[in-house]
Amino acid sequence: MHLSTDGTKPIYVQIAEWIETEILNGNFQPDDKVFSQYKLAEMFTINPATAAKGLNILTDEKVLYGKRGLGKFVTTEARSIIVDKRKNQTLKGLILEVALEADRLDVDEEELIEMLKLTMKKQKGDV
Amino acid sequence: MGLITCEELSKSRGGENALNDISFSINENTITGLVGRNGAGKTTLLKILSGLWRESSGKVHVLEEHPFNNLFVAVNSIYIDDQMVFSQTLSLKDILIEAERFYPNWDRELANRLFEYFQFHPKQKHGQLSKGKRSTFHMILGLASRCAVTIFDETTIGMDHAVRKDFYRALLKDYLTVPRTIIISSHHLEEIEELLEHVLLLKHGKKLFHLPIDDVKNYAIGLTGRTEIVRQWVKNKQIIHMENVGVNSSYVVIKNDPFDLDQARRLGISVSPVTPSDLCIYLTDQEQGRIDDVFK
Repeated sequence: MHLSTDGTKPIYVQIAEWIETEILNGNFQPDDKVFSQYKLAEMFTINPATAAKGLNILTDEKVLYGKRGLGKFVTTEARSIIVDKRKNQTLKGLILEVALEADRLDVDEEELIEMLKLTMKKQKGDV
Repeated sequence: MGLITCEELSKSRGGENALNDISFSINENTITGLVGRNGAGKTTLLKILSGLWRESSGKVHVLEEHPFNNLFVAVNSIYIDDQMVFSQTLSLKDILIEAERFYPNWDRELANRLFEYFQFHPKQKHGQLSKGKRSTFHMILGLASRCAVTIFDETTIGMDHAVRKDFYRALLKDYLTVPRTIIISSHHLEEIEELLEHVLLLKHGKKLFHLPIDDVKNYAIGLTGRTEIVRQWVKNKQIIHMENVGVNSSYVVIKNDPFDLDQARRLGISVSPVTPSDLCIYLTDQEQGRIDDVFK
């Protein structure tokens, strides 16, 4: 992953999202140990305190749990927490953007839904 | 108490206050970025911290000692800049050997590896190096000395972009291996911000702020929109910077607060983050006009 440094998204949030994506992709399973703050710092050339902040967000959200002196591990319910969060925050945010842009362009509901259906078909490789 | 503390530290040089009542504290094993315009007092501060210069008034403690003329601070701290002077009779290799004799934590293997990686020749003389090569050599001294307090004052001057990137990565990797207290002064905050835990900003010898990097990133927001709308919206807010863009538009930077930004967006104002680097420029702008005024 390449970190974006334009300031639109804090680095520690990008670190947290990267670990989330690794969990969603199955690269980390429940009870797997994730990278330490030092390993993350080394991987992305960032201050370890920034990396720790990313890990702490995920711990607060119960995606990770800590074992004293051993590091951070993936919780059993990590996947469902991430899916739930992304649906309610990320996806809803994107849909709001789409709705606003459609409104500006006078694209009505029907046309928008058609566009969405077409895109999803393409994504699955049906077209 | 921090590993480095200053209380009401002042230094007068040539009848002017190079440093004026500065107080701050830096914790052990952190990386701090020191920023400010030319002449803001960065070098003066760093030379006092490393014991090279004596303060005029106030208190300064480094490793629980007063740094000036202090051998304990001298062997446990290193000050690196682009003006280091070495005897003309010493080769680069000789300098490394002498450095090893002086610094108790010197890592010979690291020094040699960096020396080879950056393609130095052992018999080369310091005075014959190009600006960039000299900076690179100084960086090797700074890292390999592994001092508890390591200070880099504008060390990347003359280095090309690839070497600067290598330097930042080497610094971080070595810091992860052997944590220590590092201060880097630089005019390229955008290049080093991800390495930093804290930023200390100076202006005219005074401290403007000393904050965690994340707070610096959230310190301000930029608003762009039609001049009359933006100016109306920023009334009673703390304005840091204002400029005209295009014909009827303005860009205004204000101190961040939990504002109702959706309200601003509904008025057609676009809201953008302000990078630490830009923020520091705006905060340290000269009061008497901008570069454009010179050409009026």
